[in-house]
Amino acid sequence: MRKIDFIFLSKDQLLWLFCLLLILIVFPCRSWATFGEDREKPKPVFTRKGDKITAKLLPRAKSTSVLIDFEVSGAKLIEVQGMDFEEADRPEVNHKDFKSALFVIELGELTSGGEAKVSIISDFFIRSTQYWIFNQNLETPWMDSKAQNLDRPDQVQELIIKVKDGGPFDSDGTENGRIIMLGGPKDSFWGYALGTLFIRYFGIFIVLSILMLGMIFSGKIFQYLEGKKARAVSKPAPQTAPVQKAEKPDLSNNGINPEMATAIAVALHLHFSGLRSSEPMHVSRLRPTAWTQQGRAQIMSERLLMYNRDKR
Amino acid sequence: MSWDYVLELIKNILVTQTGMPNLLIKQVIMMLVAFFFLYLAVGKKYEPLLLVPIGFGIFLVNFPLAPLMGYTEHGNPELLRAFYKYGVEWEIIPPMIFLGLGAMTDFGPLIANPKTLIVGAGAQLGVFITYIGTLFFGFTLKEAASVAIIGGADGPTTIYLTAKLAPQLLGANALAAYSYMAMVPLIQPPIMRLMTTPDQRRIKMRQLRAVSDREKLLFPLIAAILIIILIPAVAPLMGMFMFGNFMRECGVVKRLSETAQHSLMNIITILLGLSVGATMKAEVFLSWKPLLIFGFGLMDFIVCTFGGILTVHIMNFFLKEKINPLIGSAGVSAVPMAARVSNSEGLKADPTNFLLMHAMGPNLAGVIGSAAAAGMFIAMFQ
Repeated sequence: MRKIDFIFLSKDQLLWLFCLLLILIVFPCRSWATFGEDREKPKPVFTRKGDKITAKLLPRAKSTSVLIDFEVSGAKLIEVQGMDFEEADRPEVNHKDFKSALFVIELGELTSGGEAKVSIISDFFIRSTQYWIFNQNLETPWMDSKAQNLDRPDQVQELIIKVKDGGPFDSDGTENGRIIMLGGPKDSFWGYALGTLFIRYFGIFIVLSILMLGMIFSGKIFQYLEGKKARAVSKPAPQTAPVQKAEKPDLSNNGINPEMATAIAVALHLHFSGLRSSEPMHVSRLRPTAWTQQGRAQIMSERLLMYNRDKR
Repeated sequence: MSWDYVLELIKNILVTQTGMPNLLIKQVIMMLVAFFFLYLAVGKKYEPLLLVPIGFGIFLVNFPLAPLMGYTEHGNPELLRAFYKYGVEWEIIPPMIFLGLGAMTDFGPLIANPKTLIVGAGAQLGVFITYIGTLFFGFTLKEAASVAIIGGADGPTTIYLTAKLAPQLLGANALAAYSYMAMVPLIQPPIMRLMTTPDQRRIKMRQLRAVSDREKLLFPLIAAILIIILIPAVAPLMGMFMFGNFMRECGVVKRLSETAQHSLMNIITILLGLSVGATMKAEVFLSWKPLLIFGFGLMDFIVCTFGGILTVHIMNFFLKEKINPLIGSAGVSAVPMAARVSNSEGLKADPTNFLLMHAMGPNLAGVIGSAAAAGMFIAMFQ
C-alpha cells in the first residue's frame, strides 16, 4: 500500500483509525453525553417586591441573564424556589427542553379546595412556550398545565396557570388552603436548535449576498468613474488631430518638403532593389482601438496616394 | 539537630517544593502529547507559528506545582493565567489577530469578483451540519456551536467563539482547528476530485479586472457597514479586520500597518499559542471529549469543502460564464493554503490553468463567512 505523507501512517492505518474513531463516537455516546460537570445548570436568584417574586437566572444556551416574574391572583404568593432537574428526571421528559430551571411555587391563604391563578411573565418566553407541572404522587408525574400564553408589550409573554387546592397540580395533594406547584417552562430543544440553525445558515447567505450586491453596485460606480476619468485624460487627443492634419503634406502643391522627398527616395530604392518591407509583426494581430485604426487608415491612404502610380 | 529532623526536613522539601513526587502519569502523558505537537510543528512544518507555542504551553503547564496557570495568594493570576485571562478571556487577542490579518490581506480578487462571496457562504455548510451532529452526541448548544466553527478553518474565529461560549473546550478546539488547517492539502483534494469531472476541472476563468486603489480603500468601510449592521455581534472581529485592511490600503500609516502585520502579530501569536496550550492540563484534556472534537472537526472540514464545491455547481446553473468548481473548496477559509490547493488541482487537470487568484476570492469570502457564522452563533445565545 502506498505510503502517504500523513505523519507516519499508511492509508490503511488511517482508514482503521477513522473507523475506530467512528465506533468510539457511535457506541458509547450515552456515557459521555453529559461531559462531566453540568456547567450550564441554571442557578436562579429570587427577590421579592410586594406580591411579586422575580427570579434572575442564566438559562441554558444563553449568555445573558433573564428575569422571570411570578404573580398570583386569588391567593398569596408565599415563596418561589429553584429545584434541581435530577429530582424530577423521568424518561418521558428531556431536561434539555427545560432551559430555565424548575421552580417550586408555594401559595397560601386560599379557601380549602379553592382556585388561584399563577402568572409567570418573562421576555425569555415565546408564543410556543408551555408550562409543565411535575407531581410525583400521580401515575404520570409530568403533565402540561395548558397554560394560557398571552402577548404583552415589549415582546413579553405571560403564562397563566389555573391551579386548584388539592388538584393534580398541587403536589401536597390535599385540600388544605395551601398549594405547592412544581414545574417549569418548556420549549422544544430540537425545534429551537433546528429552527435557528436553518435561519442562521440562510442568514449567512443573506448577509454575504447583501455584501455582494453592495460590492457589485460600488464596483460599477467605480468602473464608471474610472472610465470617465480615463476618457477625460484622453480627450485632448482628438483635438490634436486637426493640428496633425494641418501638417499633412499638401500634395496638390508642387513643392515637396525634404522629409517627403527622403521617404520617396527610400521607397523607390527599396522597390527597385528587390527588397520588400515585411509585414509589421504582431501589430495587426493586436485588437486595434478606434484611434489606432483611424491612424492606420490615414497612413495607408497617404501611402496609396504616393505610390499608386496609375493615378498619378 | 537529630537525623530524624534532617530527614523530615528533606522529605518536606521534596514533597512540597519539588515536582518529582507530585508528578502524575497523566501529566507525563500530556507532555508526550506536547512533544507530538512540537514534532508536527518542527518536523513536519504543520502550522509551526501556532503549534510551537501551543505545544510548549502544553508542555509547561503540565509540570506539577509550577506556578503558571493558577492564582497567587493575593488573587493575582500567574504568568500563563495572566496571558489567558487578559488575552483570551477578555477577548482581546483574537480581534487583534484579525487586525493583523486585515493588514496583511489584499481584497483585490474578492472585489474583482464579488460573486465568490456566495461560495464563502456555501462553504459554511459543514459548520451547521456538525452543529447538529454534536448535539446528537450530548454536547450542549454552546459546546456544539464552538466545535462546529472548527470547519470554518479560521483559528482566531474558533478561539474567539470557544472562549466566549465553551472555554472548557478551548484547547481541543484550537488544536483541532490548526491541525486540520495544516492538513488542508491532504483532506481537500480527494473530495475535490470526487465532486468534479475532468472537464469541469479544466474550466478556464476570465482574467480578473484591475481593481483601483480607491476601490480597495473604500472596501473595508463598505464591508464593515454592511456586515456590522446586519450582525452586530461580529463587530469585534470584523471591525478589527476591516480596520487593519483600511490601514493597509490608505497608505498614510505605513508604520502602523507594518507593525500590525509583523511585530504585533508575532507578539500576539506567542501569547495566544501559550495561552491556548496552557488550557490543556491533564485533568481537563485527558478524556474522550478531545477525540470526539477531533472526529467532528474532520467531518466539519470535509462537509465544508463539499459545501463550497456544491455551491459553485449550483451557481454554474445560472451563470453564463462558468466558474471552475475547484475554487469552491477554497471557501473554507484557511488562507492561503486552500487557494493553493485549488490552484494545484487545477494545474493537474490543465497545466495552463492558473486558478490561484480566482481561488483567493472564495478564500477571503470564507474568512468573512466564518466570522459571520460565529456572529450568528453569538447572537443566538444572547
